Amino acid sequence: MKEIVKITFALTLSCVIAASAMGLTFTVTAKAKKHNHLMSVQNAMMDLLGFGEDHPAPSDLTFHNVYRYIVKDGGKKFLGYMVPVEKAGKEVYEMVMIDLEGKFVEKLEVPISEGQAEEAHDRASALEKVLPPNQFFTYADASAVATAGGERLGYVLPGKFPGFRTFIHVLVAMDPQFELLGLEIMEHEEDAGLGAEIEQEYFKNQFKRKSFEILKGLEVVKKPMPQEYKKYLEKSKWVEGMFTEEQISEIRKQYKASDIHAITAATISSKAVTDGVKNIAKKFAYRIGKLDGVLEEQDIHAAF
Amino acid sequence: MSTTMKSNTQLFMDGILKENPIFKLALSMCPAVGISTSVMNGILLGTAVLFVQVFSSCTISLIRNYIHPKIRIPTYTLTIATWVTVIDLVLAAYVPAAYKAMGMFVRLIVAFAIITMRLEMFACREPLGKSFWDGLGMGLGFMFAMIVLGAVRELLGSGMLLGYDVLGFKPLLFFVLPSAGFFVVGLMMAFFNWIEVAYNRKKGV
Amino acid sequence: MLLVSVLLVGCENGHKFVKKTAFKDTDKMVLTFAGPVDESWASNVRNFSAYEEPDPDIVLTIKETTLSPDKTQVTLVFADPLNTGEAHIISATNILSEGQDLGAAVLTVKKLYIGVLMTIFIGAALINNFVFTKYLGLCVFFGTSQKRGTAVGMGVVFTIVMVFAAVMAWGLYQFVLKPYQLTFLNVVVFIGLVSLSVQGVDTILRKVNPMLFKAFGVYLVLVIANCIAIAVPLILADNEYSGWESFALALGAGLGFLIALFLMACVRERLELAQVPPSFRGLPIAFVTAGLFALAFLGFSGLSIY
Repeated sequence: MKEIVKITFALTLSCVIAASAMGLTFTVTAKAKKHNHLMSVQNAMMDLLGFGEDHPAPSDLTFHNVYRYIVKDGGKKFLGYMVPVEKAGKEVYEMVMIDLEGKFVEKLEVPISEGQAEEAHDRASALEKVLPPNQFFTYADASAVATAGGERLGYVLPGKFPGFRTFIHVLVAMDPQFELLGLEIMEHEEDAGLGAEIEQEYFKNQFKRKSFEILKGLEVVKKPMPQEYKKYLEKSKWVEGMFTEEQISEIRKQYKASDIHAITAATISSKAVTDGVKNIAKKFAYRIGKLDGVLEEQDIHAAF
Repeated sequence: MSTTMKSNTQLFMDGILKENPIFKLALSMCPAVGISTSVMNGILLGTAVLFVQVFSSCTISLIRNYIHPKIRIPTYTLTIATWVTVIDLVLAAYVPAAYKAMGMFVRLIVAFAIITMRLEMFACREPLGKSFWDGLGMGLGFMFAMIVLGAVRELLGSGMLLGYDVLGFKPLLFFVLPSAGFFVVGLMMAFFNWIEVAYNRKKGV
Repeated sequence: MLLVSVLLVGCENGHKFVKKTAFKDTDKMVLTFAGPVDESWASNVRNFSAYEEPDPDIVLTIKETTLSPDKTQVTLVFADPLNTGEAHIISATNILSEGQDLGAAVLTVKKLYIGVLMTIFIGAALINNFVFTKYLGLCVFFGTSQKRGTAVGMGVVFTIVMVFAAVMAWGLYQFVLKPYQLTFLNVVVFIGLVSLSVQGVDTILRKVNPMLFKAFGVYLVLVIANCIAIAVPLILADNEYSGWESFALALGAGLGFLIALFLMACVRERLELAQVPPSFRGLPIAFVTAGLFALAFLGFSGLSIY
């Protein structure tokens, strides 16, 4: 009997010590992890908008996050946008509810700061306080609007869609006319050497500068990529004097409306990314159009 | 076993050559086949395993006199699992990009037979110093094997080493494909065997 | 073919008169009614509206509708290919059947759950075979694949322990670890559960069937050293699988392991009698064989039954 007690005590003690060691590590590293993640997303966004070392961003560049929710009230569904609004010189969040056709329903002020709003948990509790108890909300997605000097510079949209293996997470940047500024692959589980090539410049950069009209009808072709185009796309490998200004604009014009060249032996991954980006862009353009209409009609001064 | 007679350096070198976990003992082969696709992966996972091995060996060695014989295995498992969680959290927080390349394999270290075996055979009866060197040797042996595998596969598969374009072209994409892991490990094992046979023959054994 | 068509049928819908709803091809939906519907109602595209469940504000364009000869099936043809992975909601206004207005209907069209489970099961067993595609469980794999009897024994024992451990892992993860934000304890808890399952199966087998225990008992200890045993709980936690999905994953993983072991054992038994160069004898040639199997299994990677 004494043996069992001793064993149980020893085991419990070891478990407690182990758990505290891990808990300590967790609390210490959790903060660093969140910070690193945020930095990498921010860097990706700046990069997509075209800012970098040789093209520094304007000092007043800010990203405004708009969070989209689906609100269910009885049998009806509404879209709820958490929009940063300028009120009396300060920025607060307002929940703008729009019905499925795009007509304004109501707006509510949400007591949350911009920093807090980045945490899903905090957003949920703030919304719970403001919305009536018979309304249920589910988080849909977030978009970032980049502004500088009082003008909109562009939109950065995170998105997720099924790839060949599991899901592919991307970041898509568009300018105010919905021309694609760039595409960044954030996460994927595609096969190395095959589907994973979607991370390579020669695939990603094909999407750059595609206008919205062309994007809507973009297809994937299984043709080999012309060498010259490939060299042009791999921007990081450019050497001095490789392309003249004339050549660059020539190539750009030539391939502006061309379809996406699939990656060799990875057609499904290429198609998944193309269709995914198309959907993200189309849906966002439709939704921001409706939201802008409502904001103007209701005279809501969004921070963008 | 005459482990008590071995000097620290000998313990250390044994772990790398004579008792190399992957090539000789054929243990912990899952990562060897799965993610030895580049030298960087090898270095990273090698470091993780080294960390877990050394710290687990030292922890068990420190408390070896207090472990009740009946709960030996659960204690080893708990220790290993704790250190694996620690290194997992640290890597995820400070080197996220590299950590993602390794997928699940960092957390799978907890199931590596090599570490438990080492604790059972060595750390639970040897003092702290010897356990440390043995753990270090084993861990470095693993890292060495992973780096060699990674180098072969990265060079032959994508013409690069550590991300630097060495060959300028991709000889055989096949080597980067996961199934090649089996072939390369098998061939390297045969190679090590062959070296040992030749060495013994020279020594007249 | 019949099985596939049965699997494609979703049976949830919200109106008494609608018998079933299903996807068809890549751009159609078929609504089956309990009785004949009026052609005037069925042929008017404007009586139907459809959207994907997570995007209620994006209305999908219906190109045309067709009515079956017996008037009980309406096929909606869409302008763009449908994303059949998502549930779709269809609103049909005022169904007219033989002149009677049967009211409006809100219907759900989605793939049957059993299809999702089958995908996970076949995925874990063949497409993402844990040994040949994910390279896990190799130590145990090479250790027990020398004879067919050993291989089968190990495979069966592993599947049993895996199913127990996975279901317990799912329970603990959903009801204890996640709600209390203790997910950093995942690794410890899961390996603990595997040990517990091994111990449990050991005790049960000893009491219930000593014969079976004598044959298979020795493999139980090896399960703990099997990477797959800890990989399966980690996967189901990362992907947030439901209870049934976890069960399907564990069963598939076990079955895949059994298949891999059996195939390997068959080959290795023959290799014993072959002329193998001295350096390659034993493990090295086994590795090369496994490599060939892995290449063969690569052929499954495009398999998509659902």
